[in-house]
This record gives sequence, structure tokens and C-alpha cells, in this order.
Amino acid sequence: MSPVPDGAPHRDRCAISGIGTTRFSSNSGRSTLSLAVEASLAAVADAGLRPSDVDGIVRCDMDGVAHNDLAQALGLRELTYWGSSGPGGAAPGGMISQAVGAILSGQATTVLAFRSLNGRSGARFGRSGSGGSGGSGRRPRPVGGRGTYDEFFVPYGLVAPGQLFSLLARRHMVEFGTTPEQLGHIALACRARANANPAAQMADRPLSMEDYLSARMISSPLRLFDYCLETDGACAVVVTSAERAADGPEAPALIRAVAQSAGPEPQFGFLFPTLLRDSLTTQTSKSVAETLYRRAGLGPADVDVAQFYDCFTITVLLQLEDYGFCAKGEGGPFAGSGAIDKGGSLPINTSGGHLSEGYIHGLNHIVEGVRQIRGTSTSQVTGAEVCLVTSGLPVTTSALVLRRAS
Amino acid sequence: MSGAAVDRPPRVVPETADPDTGGFFAAAARGELALCACAACGAVLHPPRAYCAACGRWDTVWRTVSGRGRLYSWTTVEHQAHRAFPVPYTIVLVELDDASEARLVGYLPGRPELEAGMPMRVWFEPVDDQGTLLPQWRPEPIDSIDGA
Repeated sequence: MSPVPDGAPHRDRCAISGIGTTRFSSNSGRSTLSLAVEASLAAVADAGLRPSDVDGIVRCDMDGVAHNDLAQALGLRELTYWGSSGPGGAAPGGMISQAVGAILSGQATTVLAFRSLNGRSGARFGRSGSGGSGGSGRRPRPVGGRGTYDEFFVPYGLVAPGQLFSLLARRHMVEFGTTPEQLGHIALACRARANANPAAQMADRPLSMEDYLSARMISSPLRLFDYCLETDGACAVVVTSAERAADGPEAPALIRAVAQSAGPEPQFGFLFPTLLRDSLTTQTSKSVAETLYRRAGLGPADVDVAQFYDCFTITVLLQLEDYGFCAKGEGGPFAGSGAIDKGGSLPINTSGGHLSEGYIHGLNHIVEGVRQIRGTSTSQVTGAEVCLVTSGLPVTTSALVLRRAS
Repeated sequence: MSGAAVDRPPRVVPETADPDTGGFFAAAARGELALCACAACGAVLHPPRAYCAACGRWDTVWRTVSGRGRLYSWTTVEHQAHRAFPVPYTIVLVELDDASEARLVGYLPGRPELEAGMPMRVWFEPVDDQGTLLPQWRPEPIDSIDGA
């Protein structure tokens, strides 16, 4: 094989050949292992394979299901490769990155990437119980230390991811005059796509700008519909070589390029120390985009459709800028211009995203990216050939470009 | 348990004995705001740590700073996420005047009127009966903000 001159020898050499999901609900009544198995079986069947063909598993570091759990439950013949990526929502692109690395280095041939969670009925994000209780003697058990640096944040009431993103949103408003209505356009775009997607949790729930603006404030300036859903469910995808994928029943979604980035100033811990970075309005998405586009040999103008990680509306707005679809500070006007809607220049989150389809921690974004490449999305972008899929921030992040085989 | 304690949920107290960060709280207990800095090159190392990547040295000091800053961002929390923090309350992010590399967080009760860049001043709040003081921030000049 001839080398790619700009240092991306993995370009187009692997593909996603299978996708699978469970139902998305607020109370699955099932274990996360059962959800992971169901999504994995669906993905493997979709790829035209059997579980015994799988020899690699990659997972999110926050998943309750370990690689050996899933291998045992699926009855895999021999698992020869596994890995974890993260933290949390930063994982999905990194999981694909590990799968590609394993396949191209000969450590695996067929890798499952999955995420399974009971995000509503089980452990819920933003429900902090840390500190203030459980101590002995006269002093409650303290928070922080041991490299977490939580002692600089949690004693002040900064306890939930949404509060951190609210600080980012406020800062974006301070620096650039971004408005609540502009954030609202992101919520409305995702909701409109979910309304076309029968599998979305918000399939039957339209959202107007009046609904958005009159909804209760959660942590100013972010309101109820700036927040993603809480979901029970799982998604899985099968990654294999482009050659093997070509033999499958579905059109392969070629992995044009994949990238991870911790940025020039990664910061410590899981979340809150990112508030100490030089800028709050430029995120690790900026540096990952530069690497991804270089490896892909493509730029923002080549992207037909994008699935942006959307834990909050502001997360999307920051990425519109960081991935180069508009200038820094112009994310608000860009979102409000209709560009991100189905007929716009950059349709986003065509299944409804975390904001309105379901929160499967970025894995549902990859599944929807594959659907766009296959031409099977419920909000299909006509002629879509290149789809950008991003993963979570702010600590580290990852992203990939999917491409239709020509 | 006293009557006042019954009315108030347990405080969240910081770990003050961590080998890298304990000096910050030791200074606070003396009523001083101090940041970790490299003794060799002077770089501010916040969050505090023992190794300076800028010059490769392991020699740090706790440098007292003025306790003045500017409001960088804030959020008023309306949805309760932790029993120790009844809503509404406001989280402030303050950029320090004499160490812009460092930002510190503070808690204000209620929904104060705030604006970006406004001057902020540190104060020290007792959070237990062990002498632990938590550096807090309030707008300067002090007007409608009560002592929490």
C-alpha cells in the first residue's frame, strides 16, 4: 500500500459495517449487560457476521459493562483485543480510533464498540452526592484531594456538568453577545429531527421557540431544553477492514479519518479544572478538528452532514466554531441562520442527538452517521457522502469522518 | 446538634491535607490567599502541583496574592443537584488581578446582579469547627451581598 503523504495511513482503510441499537426509554427494566448484548447482536447481524467473528471490544471508561462481561455474554470464541476510552463522552471517537489501530496492526479483525447505560433509571448524571455526609466524628468527609482537585470546586456548589457548561455559555455571551434564542435554535433543530425519527424519545413532542424560552431555568443561562435527555439504552457498531466490510450486506461507512485531542492545556481531573484554561470559548474541539481534517485531507466545506456531541446546546455552538463551520464568536448567528436545519448548508444531529433522540453518550451519533452514509436516516441529507461525527468535551475529545465508498 | 445546625444541611468541606494542594488551605486558615508557584522561574502552578513543567524544577513556594480579581463568568443555579446547596445560589468564576493564570470559584447566595469584569474581593468563610476557612468572593464594593 502506498503511504499517504500527510501522515494518515489509516485513511479509508477501515469501515463501520454494522450498527445496532436498543429501544431508548426512561426505564428499561433491564441490566446494562442485557442492553449491551442486544445492541451488539443487532450490530453483528447488521454486518452480516456472527458473534464468533468478533475478536475485539472497545468500551467507554464509564460503562458498567466490561469487555470480558460482554465477551462472556455474547459467547465470543476468543477475545484478543480490548480497550477503554474516555473520559466519559470523549470516548466514542477514541473507541473507533482504538478499533482502527487494532485492526491495522493485526491485533484484531472485527471490533465491537459499544455504550450501554441506564441513564435515567440507574445512575443519573448531575446527581452529586459527594461530600457533606458519611464522615465520622465532628468533620464531614471532605471532598477532593488525590489528584481530583475537586476541593477547589465542589465546596462552592459546583457539582454538576450542566453548571460547568453554563459557565461556558455565560462566557460566550460575554465575549460575543450570544443570545438565548441562538442556543434555542440548536434545541429546535435537534427536536425537529427527532420528530421525524420514530425511535427518538422525543419523537412525538414538538418544540417551539416559545416553549424553549418559557421553560424553567436550570442553571442560568441554560434552560431545560438546553439540556440533553436522560436515557436507558445501548448502541453498538462493528468496525472491520474496508476489504471485509465490502463483503457485508450493507454499504460500508468508510472511516476516512479519526482523531483524538487533549488540546494544548488538557488540565487535571474529570471536568471542573478545565475552567482554568486560557480560553473557555475555544475547546479541545479546535485542536482535534485540525488533526482530523489534516488526516482526512478534507475540510469543513467538504462535510455534507454532521452529528455533533450535544450534552448541552452550548456544546454544539462551541463546536460549530471550533470545527471551522463559522468564525469564532459567530456560532450564535450561524445557528440562528437556518444553516443547521435539514435544508441548510450543514444539517446537524439528524436523529435528534442527545438533546432529543436519546443520550447514549455519543455512540448514537456514530450510528446516525453511518445511516447518513448508507442513505437510511429518517432525515436523510440528499447525496450525503461525508459525515462528521464528534464526541464529548471539554476535558479531551475525539471525532471521526465517515465517507461513502465511491 | 444545635437548632441552627438542624436548619442547615451539612457543609461540603474541602480536603485540606493533600500533599499538592494542602498549602492553599493552610494559607486560607491564616486568612491569606496563596497560590503555588515555581521558586525557580516564578510560574504560577494552579491547580497546585509539585513539578514545574516550564523549567523542570521540583521547587515550589506558596505565594501570597492580593485577593482582588474580576468576575470572569457566573451561573445562577435554579435546579438543586446536591442537598448541601439549596437553590437559588450563584457560582462565580473569578480571574485574579495579580495572577491571571489562576481562576478561583466562589459561592454567592441567591441571584445577585452581576456583570462581567466587575471587581471581586476575597473573604474567608469558616466551614467547620476545625478552623478550616474557605476563600470566597464577593463583589467589591460590598453592597447587598450578605455574609452567607
